[in-house]
Amino acid sequence: MSVVMIEHIVAILGGIIVAWVSAIALKNDWNTPGMDNQVFKIMLGLLFIGAVIAALAGAGVLGNFPQGAA
Amino acid sequence: MAVANLLYGHEPQVEEVDQLYKETRDLRLQGFLLFLISDCVLFSSFIFAYLYMRNSGQGWPPPGIHRLDVAFAAVNSVILFGSGATMHYALENWKHGNFNRYALFMIATIILGAAFLGGQAYEYTNLIVNEHVTWGGSGIFGASFFTLTGMHGFHVSVGVIYLFILLLQSIHGVYDKHKYFGLTAGTLYWHFVDVIWVALFSLFYLI
Repeated sequence: MSVVMIEHIVAILGGIIVAWVSAIALKNDWNTPGMDNQVFKIMLGLLFIGAVIAALAGAGVLGNFPQGAA
Repeated sequence: MAVANLLYGHEPQVEEVDQLYKETRDLRLQGFLLFLISDCVLFSSFIFAYLYMRNSGQGWPPPGIHRLDVAFAAVNSVILFGSGATMHYALENWKHGNFNRYALFMIATIILGAAFLGGQAYEYTNLIVNEHVTWGGSGIFGASFFTLTGMHGFHVSVGVIYLFILLLQSIHGVYDKHKYFGLTAGTLYWHFVDVIWVALFSLFYLI
């Protein structure tokens, strides 16, 4: 197994795990009051999106440009 | 305590300090959020400058420069995003009075943050040594890439030091179950550097 293949697998699995964990955290915090918690919810939502993007990049769905592409 | 002494004109009682904390907590939170917003404006100005230059040139990346390694950057991103999740759970455990789990998640966050910086250093080395991409010698691409990711890396470095100080403070009893604004600010800051990386990762590696 090549290093690049391992990178892809780690990115996919890691992205899924982080997305799952941040979604759970967001769900648990959903009803918490206070300004700081509202900001945390926005941050967790963006973290979820970032993790999904990283997983999709690892899977080659995003950023999969042909060799030598400009 | 010095502020409380100044406000009350005498050595404050515990109840008075608690009251002062409640009264000033929201103000400090607003101040910290304003700081994060100002940092967001700083990054936004650089990002929009990068996008403007990118779209006014001769295609992207410029001729002679290869696309960046997406797989490695995705792994590095997952490391940073993972640190955001561990930081969140560190704060949650502190709120619930579980110090051991708090310390464990905090240490994990610091290690993951340092690992991200290590990954970035590796990527920089690879770009400079193998691809001959430099800040000053590779035109708009090198300048914008190293400026934006370098600025972000600086924020992560500051964050790692900040979290380490927070960990030491919490070990030495600076915070308790009800007064922990420093930890809230640290968590906000760390989420902020995560979220900025979502934008930078998408802009430099995926589009």
